[in-house]
Amino acid sequence: MLQVLIQGLLLSGLYSLIAVGFTLIFSVGRVLNLAYGAYLMMGAYCYFYVTQTLGIPKPIGFVLAASVGAMAGVLKYRFLVKPLKGDHVAVEISTLILAVVIQAGIVFIFNDSAKVLHPIVPGVIWVGGAAVTYNMVAATLASWAILVLLYLFVRRTHTGRAMQAVSMDAKGAALSGIDPDKVNMITWVISGILGAAAGVFFASYTQVNPSMWVAPLIIAVAVVIVGGIGSILGTLVVAHIIGFMEVISTTFIAAELRGVFTMLLIIVVLVMMPKGLFGREEL
Amino acid sequence: MALLEIENLNAFYGMAQSLHGVSLSVEEGDIVGIIGPNGAGKSTLFDAVMGMVKTTGSIRLNGSELTALKPDQIVRLGIGYAPERAHLFPYMSVRDNLLVGAFTARGEIEPNLDLVHSLFPVLMERRKQETSTQSGGERQMVSLGRALMTSPKLLLVDEPTIGLAPKICSDIAAALKKLNEETGLTILITEQNVNFAMTLARYLYVLETGEIRTRGTVADLQSDEELNRAYFGQ
Repeated sequence: MLQVLIQGLLLSGLYSLIAVGFTLIFSVGRVLNLAYGAYLMMGAYCYFYVTQTLGIPKPIGFVLAASVGAMAGVLKYRFLVKPLKGDHVAVEISTLILAVVIQAGIVFIFNDSAKVLHPIVPGVIWVGGAAVTYNMVAATLASWAILVLLYLFVRRTHTGRAMQAVSMDAKGAALSGIDPDKVNMITWVISGILGAAAGVFFASYTQVNPSMWVAPLIIAVAVVIVGGIGSILGTLVVAHIIGFMEVISTTFIAAELRGVFTMLLIIVVLVMMPKGLFGREEL
Repeated sequence: MALLEIENLNAFYGMAQSLHGVSLSVEEGDIVGIIGPNGAGKSTLFDAVMGMVKTTGSIRLNGSELTALKPDQIVRLGIGYAPERAHLFPYMSVRDNLLVGAFTARGEIEPNLDLVHSLFPVLMERRKQETSTQSGGERQMVSLGRALMTSPKLLLVDEPTIGLAPKICSDIAAALKKLNEETGLTILITEQNVNFAMTLARYLYVLETGEIRTRGTVADLQSDEELNRAYFGQ
């Protein structure tokens, strides 16, 4: 029981971090960024290359990974989302195509074999008869720290409030002197950084491989659909529902079915409550 | 030189033209009203001033041309806008809505908040309430307050009394009057409710189907029999 609680908390913390960058874009820009999983992958590969191939210290690897994410966000907003403005289906399809292109690029550069990331923090502690790696604990604590900082940024700063304003009423934001274009750009940058950071942690849980963008994307989409929201607190709640559901089904039912219950939850929510559990899309 | 000078303004929503050669001017310190029926183009005129619709012609604030600018630049130059239906941020508190208004005037938050609370004391009591749960009258007050938080030289107020009870309408009229008298702020206001416009404005424009039909003081307009029947109901 204790083990389920701990595993659930650890996994949910990671899922929250994975989902929050995605929901941010959804609530401010109103598009599903289907290349979001590719941010995670680029972040993970960058970190892997810098720290394990080049042997550069981990903190620098982390900063470089985050920079790659930020850059990816800027480029995508400037050259894809902005020119296709207003056509959400076109944006979504092209982001999906972009994800596949990035995957091909990764295979071309790094080949398609999976790579194992050294733990960010090595070591293991035993809790209630189960091994918990320091790496997982560190990833979860870092996720929480990042989420708290993001929450404070969005609620307490002028830029953060401007992001909320654009997500709630674009006209109201414009007549308050906010340039929606700038706010969107900032949001894409933050989302890119969050994605890349989540990618490093996610890879340290699993491994680095060219199809690692799919699973986090499904988690992020699930959080948006189930939550129906872009609020940071709502994202946390839904990420915990999904995280605990996976741990419980893996522990008590069958490990093979872990993703299935998430999918079923998506379908049930879509049918029963099309606007999601919280019924709102604004930040 | 007038504070706001609009000359031969045409405005377009896609292919449809909704303003035809509108010219008007507003002197500093004045309250000017624009009256006219629903669909006459009153809101379009304000959206045009704010750079939110496509236009041809000229709009100048203190002599500088606004027509090529984006809404956020126009706000910075000194136009505050309380639009029809408020366009508030529904899941933010009253205070946060006002603080968003301060986006371009961060150095003047305290005095502007004091001004807003002196005009609408209820907003101080309700500062933590989400605006989605407020009454129409209070939402209108938040909207006016948010516009004042931009430190405007000119305040555009679009149909502030739509759907509000007479008591609230007179509260809002009193607040706008006090604002004009005590701070000297210039106000341009649109209204379907002609009585409301008359109690505030010294000078009125009549806008019909996208054109200025006539203009003048309240007395001027009342002396025109046809207008008198159409707008003043006498």
